[in-house]
Amino acid sequence: MKYFELFQLEPHLNMDIGALEKKFHALSRQCHPDFHTTDGPEERARALESTALLNDAYRTLRDSTRRAEYLVKSQGFKVDGSRAPREMLMEVFEINEGLDDLRSARESGDPVSELLEAVNEYRKRIAEKRRAYERQLNGAFGEWDDLLANDASEEARREHLRRLAEIISQSSYIRNLEHDLEDEVSH
Amino acid sequence: MPNIVGIDLGTTNSLIAVVSDGIPRVIADSAGREIIPSVIHFASDGEVHVGQEARDRMLDDSGRTISSIKRFMGRGLSDVRDDLTLLPFEASVESENIIRIDVFGREYTPPQLSALILRELKQNAERALDSPVQNAVITVPAYFNDAQRQATKDAGRIAGLDVLRIVNEPTAASLAYGLQEQKHGIVAVYDFGGGTFDVSILKLSEGVFEVLSTSGNTHLGGDDIDQSLMLMIQRETGKNLEQGQLQFVRAAVRRAKEELSASDSTTIDVPALGYSRKLSRRELETMIGPIVEQTLVPCRQALKDAGINAKEVDEVVMVGGSTRIPLVQQRVQELFERVPHTELDPDQVVALGAAVQADILAGNRRDTLLLDVTPLSLGIETMGGVMSKIIPRNSTVPASATESFTTYVEGQTNVKIHVLQGERELVEDCRSLAEFDLKGIPPMPAGLPRIEVKFLIDADGILNVSARELRTEKFQSIEVKPTYGLTDEQVETMILESFEHAESDIETRLVIEARNEAQQILEACEKSCRGEEYEGLADKEKTLIAESIARIQTTMKGEDYQAIRDAIEENNEATHRLAELRMNAAIAKALKNKRVREIQ
Repeated sequence: MKYFELFQLEPHLNMDIGALEKKFHALSRQCHPDFHTTDGPEERARALESTALLNDAYRTLRDSTRRAEYLVKSQGFKVDGSRAPREMLMEVFEINEGLDDLRSARESGDPVSELLEAVNEYRKRIAEKRRAYERQLNGAFGEWDDLLANDASEEARREHLRRLAEIISQSSYIRNLEHDLEDEVSH
Repeated sequence: MPNIVGIDLGTTNSLIAVVSDGIPRVIADSAGREIIPSVIHFASDGEVHVGQEARDRMLDDSGRTISSIKRFMGRGLSDVRDDLTLLPFEASVESENIIRIDVFGREYTPPQLSALILRELKQNAERALDSPVQNAVITVPAYFNDAQRQATKDAGRIAGLDVLRIVNEPTAASLAYGLQEQKHGIVAVYDFGGGTFDVSILKLSEGVFEVLSTSGNTHLGGDDIDQSLMLMIQRETGKNLEQGQLQFVRAAVRRAKEELSASDSTTIDVPALGYSRKLSRRELETMIGPIVEQTLVPCRQALKDAGINAKEVDEVVMVGGSTRIPLVQQRVQELFERVPHTELDPDQVVALGAAVQADILAGNRRDTLLLDVTPLSLGIETMGGVMSKIIPRNSTVPASATESFTTYVEGQTNVKIHVLQGERELVEDCRSLAEFDLKGIPPMPAGLPRIEVKFLIDADGILNVSARELRTEKFQSIEVKPTYGLTDEQVETMILESFEHAESDIETRLVIEARNEAQQILEACEKSCRGEEYEGLADKEKTLIAESIARIQTTMKGEDYQAIRDAIEENNEATHRLAELRMNAAIAKALKNKRVREIQ
């Protein structure tokens, strides 16, 4: 939660990025090493440390996915983007077979146009899926902010964070899969 | 704070600049030249020439001349094997991780050679500013990795400079353009130099220059254009060019390339090969088209990373000599759909920007703040040779990341960490930065120690690492073995060596020579001032002579040979008429004597 505190913010997941940037610039002007060159070694080291922390915080908070991931992790939940969502196991299996077929056809110099077309179809389907997850994530963001605003119970908050961690893990898996498909299509 | 200078240490040329009265200015050398060729000549008498003097000797003494040393900074032998063939010297056998060039029996690393250039610039500035120069900002290509940045910093230290900041060249250029007056907007800087290509996308708001993304190619520049023209000549003559001929050919193609930026056709003449050929701009463009096209790939990548459309870019700034080429300007204009800025001299703009950054560090500009990024992702090696990213590329620096490590064997007291830079998944495809050996871990069962390692990329884009064991709260000692680069101890030794040899040798000799000459001049002056011709001079002339003698006497006590030389020069001018009068008198006397003898 250090990052939110640094910007004097409640740990909301919907955020005014313009205001965040303004605050980032104002804080940078206070602590940036450029303005402490003539200070002693201790002050310079402090300027370096605090600016690094500020930059890390800004990099994390300005991106909605990183921000949410930071929130759930800092509350002790795990995010793991390496496992496919359960309801997609069959589909993922099919996609991976399609990718393997395309790669081996490329290696042996066989015609690829049909296989490529299939992979491109998967790509479109996964992109649609990713957008669905993004909508789900956005909804979960709003719900979290409501829980905070309504001073919800610790139990309700933790239950919501657990669900958030799950959605983040799944959408991160989907994003990676989409990247793989894009790489193969633009190969 | 005393003067902080800004230095553009380029592949082809280097410049030094300083802000005075709020305005950045490039400092010229004693001959009035602002652009110092990054060329070093080792004369047979042991003297080392840097800059134009060295470049002038490249043609007839190419076997003793080194250029484009920047290409070797922070690189290992396998990176630069091709470039090494362009040097007249051999790399010694221990060059695997840091190039050691054997110059007539003495080994020089790239930072030591770059230091010779930096020292020359430093001396030029000291002469012009009439005060010592200690602190400097040095620019590097934005896409330089950790080792290349560290090598540049080492070069500064060896040259006797405190390098207060390493600044990225495109970012410096944006500062020089003073675009902060525009308050808000997106700026793309296209920097195509002699040996490197960089592009940076910046966002300006209220004096904050925030770099959003940067990309580039540290091995793509005007040199490659020269190379393709040289290959054409080699093809057309059907000869393998020898080392001695290469310099002539390079000089000829460079001239042709530069002329074609202004005219539609030119002639390439290489009399040494009996080669002459007309070349049209169109032919040149066909030949270099692929090279220019290569620069557009990082441009698109940088736009993508910044999350910005080419159309959203408000200003495009051109930097580096290669941006004078009309085809380059045309392609850049097409990509960004904007007429690029070319108002500032593309050769000077980086040095001017470095001086502005120096002025910020001196505390003279609280309104401007530069927020730069790291060009490459930082990661550590994990199981199975996979690179795990801990600080993504385009993170604003300083940036940090903390990772926990533990032991795998009972009683294990050290842990090795391999740090890498790059974007690829496998360790073997990334650039190895260093191996860190965490030592002195208290012996505990496997998996129990928790060592927290903090990786911090500072504002220079250089990695710092610290570690502590959480259970005992003990800070760990870290032994760093840079993969491509010098250890601190090696740099220290080189600083000492440079004082003992390079500087003291030549400087002392130059001072001694100047003093000897000054002594002779003083004796001659004393003699001529006793003669009757002196009495015939006007009072004003006598005063000037007296002043110049006094200046020689003062400067002789100091260590600045140039000051002594300047005083001698002043004395020459002051005594010019006296010498003439004495000469005339002597001739008259000689003639008289002759007549007497003839009469006899």
